[in-house]
Amino acid sequence: MEEKFDCIIVGGGIAGLSAAMTLAKADARFLLIERGEFCGAKNVSGGVLWGSDLARLVPDYWQDEGGFERFVSHRRLTFTDEQSAFSVDFKSDHFKETPYTGVTVLRAVFDEWLAGKVQQAIDASAHPDESFLATDILVEEVVQEEGRVTGIRAGDEVFHADCVIIAEGVNNLLTRQIGLEKEYVPGDHVAVGVKEVLKLDEARLADRFQLDGRSGLTNEFVGACSEGVEGGGFLYTNRDSISLGLVLGMNDLRDKGKTPYDVLNSFKEHPAVADMIRDAETVEYSAHVVSTGDIKGMPSEIYADGVMIAGEAAHLLLNAGKAIQGMDYAMRSGILAAETVVEAKKASDFSAAMLGNYRKALESSYVLQDMKSFQEAVHLLHRQEMFSTVPNLICDFGRQFFTIDSKPTPKASAMMRAAIKRHASYWDLVKLGLKGAKAL
Amino acid sequence: MTVAERLGLVNYRNQGRSDSRAHIEVDTDICNSTCPHKCTTRVCPAKCYTLDEQGNVHFQFEDCIECGTCLYACDQGAVTWRFPHPEEGRGVNWTLG
Ligand SMILES: Cc1cc2nc3c(=O)[nH]c(=O)nc-3n(C[C@H](O)[C@H](O)[C@H](O)COP(=O)(O)OP(=O)(O)OC[C@H]3O[C@@H](n4cnc5c(N)ncnc54)[C@H](O)[C@@H]3O)c2cc1C
Ligand code: SF4
Ligand code: SF4
Repeated sequence: MEEKFDCIIVGGGIAGLSAAMTLAKADARFLLIERGEFCGAKNVSGGVLWGSDLARLVPDYWQDEGGFERFVSHRRLTFTDEQSAFSVDFKSDHFKETPYTGVTVLRAVFDEWLAGKVQQAIDASAHPDESFLATDILVEEVVQEEGRVTGIRAGDEVFHADCVIIAEGVNNLLTRQIGLEKEYVPGDHVAVGVKEVLKLDEARLADRFQLDGRSGLTNEFVGACSEGVEGGGFLYTNRDSISLGLVLGMNDLRDKGKTPYDVLNSFKEHPAVADMIRDAETVEYSAHVVSTGDIKGMPSEIYADGVMIAGEAAHLLLNAGKAIQGMDYAMRSGILAAETVVEAKKASDFSAAMLGNYRKALESSYVLQDMKSFQEAVHLLHRQEMFSTVPNLICDFGRQFFTIDSKPTPKASAMMRAAIKRHASYWDLVKLGLKGAKAL
Repeated sequence: MTVAERLGLVNYRNQGRSDSRAHIEVDTDICNSTCPHKCTTRVCPAKCYTLDEQGNVHFQFEDCIECGTCLYACDQGAVTWRFPHPEEGRGVNWTLG
């Protein structure tokens, strides 16, 4: 191939495919390269794709049998101590309206489906034979000439383009190679995600979780379920399986001397979880690094001459306690990077100054706005109290509040005071509460 | 469930190949001389880093599920981390993900 593309996209995950879809619809000529045997073959997430951008890329996607697993109509946040679970639970028919605001996905299924939609968009574009989705190819180097990015190298082959979108995910070797990220990045702002997918007959699953049609439940967990390690657990319902896993702060896991698989075993044995996964059979075990959402973890810059970094390669992710938002951030940043390519092509200008519009667009989108305004919540989540004292206290209170044992019953406020006394100092808790109120 | 049972469910690429190319290299001299915590022997979700009875670290890449944990966790400069080569390397092929 001798011709030069408008754009080369490295990575066929959510960010890369979203960029590709945007480019195909704008009749641009591009090459997307994915190292997996198919798009999704290398990818792991929890995973709930939040937000409604998917409907922008694939209108009426909900009419499709393939793609997502279930839409989210029921959400639950559970605080755990060793024996108890205290949940905040919200279910609403509002969530049944399309476009949905959250869908569960299995990435090896979803990404491949999305790649199929991108191929259809390429076929319908003005240059159906000049854009390609190439899988099973590893990009080994980003090619630079005189300080600007001009293409990529895979094996002995070099491909040129006006610009490159790096959408390689959190293990961002190419972002490091071009110097936007240090060669070694410590584990300060990342976590280890471990996960099992457990099969359960569709009808049984619907009964067990009170689901209706394609509706689904998401349940996040904090407290004893992570054995005191910073982080939390999740349980998401798929069509005929359950995604169950943990996201554990890397440095805390290291410092506490725990292993992710043992913590996963104890999570599965927690009485609240064990009841939900009973008779479900583990069919896949997976793991992946995930960013914590600390803005300090971002590369020094997300664009340069001829190149933009999208998705988790730029550590774009938010985990402020009520959800992990990595995929929707990947989607939006991929779209915005591709829109910048379209703009740059019109102006025949792929300089850093022009591609800086990508950062500006990201700054004015919800992605960087939320990441900035929820930093305090991200930091609060790293505090030891949040996965020990607070959940213990809440469960202690719950146990008293819901116990009726033929003795005089104290008032709830007295129960609360007693629970606080057993687990924390009032003053520390007031401080924490104030911080929490401010952070959210 | 044990790690071995869990890894038994993983679909690896080039499973039949006896000479697949290593994508991660570990300088175990560093592990076994100056590393103060040997943390990769615990944080690797696929137990690719193991300790023998003498407390020495050993590494094998065959079970690696490409999660990236050791890329970040080893702060001693012992790990050279690459993605596996699609044709000659190992690595995963998730069916669900
Ligand atoms: C356990 C766990 C739970 C999570 N839960 C959620 C959740 O519930 N909701 C949510 O929104 N997010 C969640 N996340 C985060 C989410 O999965 C990521 O943020 C998201 O996948 C990032 O998308 P991406 O497209 O940027 O990167 P990725 O999905 O990692 O895609 C990168 C792609 O690039 C390819 N690639 C990389 N390097 C090269 C190369 N050199 N050559 C060719 N191809 C290359 C890879 O094979 C891959 O396909 C979770 C993550 C984990 C690990
Ligand atoms: S942390 Fe690095 S140096 Fe230490 S044992 Fe692990 S790989 Fe070796
Ligand atoms: S990438 Fe993950 S699975 Fe592979 S050796 Fe490193 S920590 Fe283990």
